[in-house]
This record gives sequence, C-alpha cells and structure tokens, in this order.
Amino acid sequence: MAALIEVSNLKKDYPMGSAGVFNALKGIDLKVEKGEFVAIMGASGSGKSTLLHLLGCLDTPTSGSYLLEGTPVHTLSSDQLAELRNKKIGFIFQSFYLLPRANALENVELPLIYAKIPPSERRRKAMDVISFLQLENHAHHLPNQLSGGQRQQIAIARALVNKPSLIMADEPTGNLDSLTSQRIMELLKKLNEMGNTLILVTHEADIAAYAKRLIKIKDGRIISDELMKKN
Amino acid sequence: MASAQIKKEEIFGLWGTFVELVKVSLRAIMASKMRSFLTVLGIIIGVLAVVTVLSIIQGVFASFFKEFETMGADTMFIRPNYEMFKSHVEGIRRLKMTYDDALYVKENVPDVKDVAPFLMSTDQISYRGKKDSTQIIGTTESYITVNNLGLDEGRFISNVDVATRRKVCIIGVDIIDKLALPPQCVGEEIQIGRGTYTIIGVQEKKGGSFGQSQDDIIFIPLTTGIQQYGQTVANQVFMVVQVKDARRMDDSVDKISTALRRKHGLKFGQEDDFRIFTVEQVRKIIKQFTSISTMVVTAIVSITLIVGGIGIMNIMLVSVTERTREIGIRMAVGAKRKHILYQFLLESVTLSTLGGVIGLVSGWGLAHFIVFILRKSVSETFPPAYVPIWVVFLSLIFAALTGAVFGVYPAYKASRLDPIEALRYE
Repeated sequence: MAALIEVSNLKKDYPMGSAGVFNALKGIDLKVEKGEFVAIMGASGSGKSTLLHLLGCLDTPTSGSYLLEGTPVHTLSSDQLAELRNKKIGFIFQSFYLLPRANALENVELPLIYAKIPPSERRRKAMDVISFLQLENHAHHLPNQLSGGQRQQIAIARALVNKPSLIMADEPTGNLDSLTSQRIMELLKKLNEMGNTLILVTHEADIAAYAKRLIKIKDGRIISDELMKKN
Repeated sequence: MASAQIKKEEIFGLWGTFVELVKVSLRAIMASKMRSFLTVLGIIIGVLAVVTVLSIIQGVFASFFKEFETMGADTMFIRPNYEMFKSHVEGIRRLKMTYDDALYVKENVPDVKDVAPFLMSTDQISYRGKKDSTQIIGTTESYITVNNLGLDEGRFISNVDVATRRKVCIIGVDIIDKLALPPQCVGEEIQIGRGTYTIIGVQEKKGGSFGQSQDDIIFIPLTTGIQQYGQTVANQVFMVVQVKDARRMDDSVDKISTALRRKHGLKFGQEDDFRIFTVEQVRKIIKQFTSISTMVVTAIVSITLIVGGIGIMNIMLVSVTERTREIGIRMAVGAKRKHILYQFLLESVTLSTLGGVIGLVSGWGLAHFIVFILRKSVSETFPPAYVPIWVVFLSLIFAALTGAVFGVYPAYKASRLDPIEALRYE
C-alpha cells in the first residue's frame, strides 16, 4: 500500500524581482506513513513553512512530485487543491485562525459547509467533536469569549471535524503559555494514538519532543530524519 | 435510493450554499450597521427619489386616465384656440365660440352624430342656510350621451328645459354633502347664484381627477346658464362632438374644422381660432408626458445607482482587505475560489437589496406624506400616491443589479487571493 505522503525532489522557488529567485526548498524527499506523528524543526527561513504549505496543499511546488494517498498534488488546480484541503487535511495554526464573528460551533462547522453537508448533520458532527474535546459549554461562545487554550481546542475540533487523513499543526503552541502548551500537545499526542497522522512544524525542541519522528530542515534541505526513542 | 440521496445532496448544495451565504452576508452587514447603512445610503436615496416621484406621478396619471376614460374614440373636444394669444385672459376676451357654433356644426356636417355644447362657471350655492360653491356646467340633453354619464336618480336636462330656460339642475354626489341635502333630494330647491333651481337628477359617482373631484359639480340647461352668467361666459361655449364613424375620425375633424372656419369667417391662410382634440391626440399628449417622465426617472435612477454602486464597490474593497484573514481561513478549510466569489458578491447584493427595500419603504412613506401636505395646502382632492407593483419590482431588481455589478470586482479580487498570503495578512 502506498504511503500517506510520498514526496520526491520537491523544489520551491520564489521570484525575488531583480535579485533572481530564492530557492526556499532545494529538493525534498520524504515519506510519511499513515499513523505517524512527525515534527519538522528548523530555524526561521529554513524552508519549514514552505514545506508545510506544500504538504498542506496550500501551494504547489515549482518542481518535483507530491503524492497524497496516491493523488498527484503537484498537478492539481487551485479548486482541486481546495477540495483536497477540505476532505483530507485539517489545519491547526499558531494564531488559531477562528472566524471572529462566528461562535465556536459555527467555526467547527466551517469545513463541513464547503463539503456540502446538510445543516442538521453538520451540527451533529460538529457537536460530536466538541463534546469529544469536552467543550460543550463553550459551543455558543464567540472566540473572544474563550481563553487561548480553548480557542486552540476549537481550532483542533475544526481540524478534526471532516475526519482528515492528515493533520497539519503550524506552531500550535506558539501563542500559549507553557502549561496550556503542554495540555494541547498531550491532546495532539492522544489524537495520534487514536490513529490520526500528524505533522507538526515548530522551532521549539520540547514541543517537537512530543512527536515520534523528528525531521530537521536547514536552508531548504532535510539535514536529519530520525525516530525518537523516548516515546 | 442511492441516486435520490445524491440528488437531495445536490439540491442542498445549491440552496444550502445560498442560505449559508445569505446568513454570512447578513452577519457581516450587521456587524457594522452604521457603515453598512452609510454604504447603501446612495442606493437608499436613489430608490427613495424614484419611488417618491413615480408614485406621485402615477397617482396623477391614474386619475388623469380616469378623466378621459369616458371620452370615447368617436368623440372630440373643441374649444377656442387660446394659444393664439399670449395670455389665457386675452384669449377669453378676443375669442368667441357660441351655442350657435355648436348648432351650426350639428346641422352642417353630415358626419356628426351629436354635439354637446357646454359652458363652465363657478358659483355660490346654498340650501336652507348652508352655503358653499361649486363648478356649474351649462349644457344640453346631448351631454349625457356624448360623455357617457350615468345618473343615480331622476333625469338629465331635456330639450324642453333648454328651449324654455327652465331653472332645473342635476347635481354631483358631492353636493349632497356640501349642502347637507336630504337623501331623497330630487325635487328639492337650491340656490345657485341668484336663481332658485329645482333638483331633477343626481349624477352617478365619478371619483376624483387631477386634484379635482368630478362629483363636485352641478349641471343646468345651457340657455339658463347663458341667461344667468352673461355674455362673457356665453361666448366661451365649448363642445364635445360625437361622430357617426370613429374610423373616419381624421376626415370628420377636417370637415368640422372647415365648417367652423366658414362660420367664423376665417380667410385662407388665417389661423384656426379654435382647437380640436381627439382621443388620439389626448393619448399622444399622455404618451409624450409618459416618455418625458420616464426619461427623467431613468436619468435619476442611472445617476444615483452609479453613485450608490461606486459607494458599495468602495466599501466592499475595504471589506475584502479587512477580511483577508477570514478569506485565508475559509480557503484553508476548503473554500474554492467560487465560494469566496459568491460570498462577497452575495454580500454586496444583499446590502444593496436591503438599501432598495429601505428606499422603497421610505419613498412610499415620503410620497404619501407629500400628498398629505399637498392636500392640506393646495387641493383636498389631490390624487393619492400610487406605487404600482412594477415600480416595487423594478427598484428592487435595479438595487440588486447595482450590488451585483459593482460587487463583481471586489468579489473577484477576494477570490483571487492566494491562501497563504491571505492567512499571513495582519
């Protein structure tokens, strides 16, 4: 069976005006199996964000190939990418990225709207995830009525609601205090233990330590890729 | 079973997406009520102006048409050509049209079926101490048939009444109220000017027209009128002529014109001292009036809607910029370009349609208020404002279209955003 993610010789260049091009990724080869928990570490400017965007189907590579569950992502149109993000990927961001005017429940429902799920079913699915995270009491609160940790949990619920094949977390604890960070990382770990595949991008070693596999990136190349023993 | 399921989902896909987008739009609009209101102010004022103007014009139109409703295709109206002179007063002084002219036309033009000559005056009226004033029409027995009038009670003027200058009258229904007449008023005697007249009939209710009730009127025999109102009025006898064959109207107009010129001793090349109006001409005048007012209204609509539309486009562009992050989030969780496009397009359409509704309601209110003021100050019988259903639909459709046209560019701009750039936007 094909790997969940199969990336070969992935390159991404950004035009820099008269200065030519910036080679953000200089040829990445990567395989991620279903059920893995991968942390991608690197300093800022190392290309880890670019890699996250490519793996998250938010962007297309300049060259190279990316197969997500066998789908050649590098050949898709922007609408096909949108559909793929909707069905197969759940995002967790540093700044939560909740819609400020929608309550928690509506935020969680958002991906289901674009998946054309009828309202009643949508509500039920969203509530299921919210109760799994024990946030029922906050379902009708607006994001600004929630604490940072609660907001991130709602964002996680939104990432989970469409049962994605892959969860991408971009510095998920960057805006949280250390205690809350721990709770969020424990939650991600638990999600992984339940069978979800997670890719975590961070620059903090103690956050990366929650993952089972650590990939280090520098100057657009993978410099190390190892399984972590302690878990 | 399975195919039915799919179909159901497809239908939901269309309708559900639409409902979803309207909800999102309303939320965005309500989130900044003041700004939304100011944004659509242009549309509101545009629709308000159009609805106000149109509903007052339409009200006048409706009553105008009613007036000519009774004028059949086989009739024409002839009066002195006042336009020959600078002022109407001078025209009245120098032009003559008499009962004789009417009799001459009837006797000398074979095409003519009947002629109803009439004079008009205004006079004081009273009944048992109750006083008022009204319009007096002096005419002959022909008037009722030529003008298609109906009677509620009694009879109209007869040729005997005219021949013997009898002091009898037919009253419009308003007179009953004005003079507090008993319900069975035929046979009662009322004062008209200095004369005492016996009521012989009551005219069927006709309703208002052009700010004047057509029921606030009294008919008396033409000859009695000439006797009572004297030479000036007697020289301004108008006529309604009924021809035998409406299909040969133009020909008949020529013949009557020739007869009147002969009667008035006009030489070749001299201008007619009378004017003939046929239903066709009245229709033409109405048509001209309609097309002019349509042009004016179209001009107001276009200008205000363009101005309003630019306002909407401006704010929608600001809104797209402000909500770049939101667009990024929606794209990240799976919104396609078309979803973003529809969302912002629908938002501007919803906004402008709401503006249209507000404009419509306030225009309706303003028109009724203006009519109320006009009735207090100008004439009690000013026709009511009337908003035809096509004005309602047209203004809402135009408002929505403005939102659509001027919302396309901002919505397109939103839909072309790059998800990563949009997410990064601070």
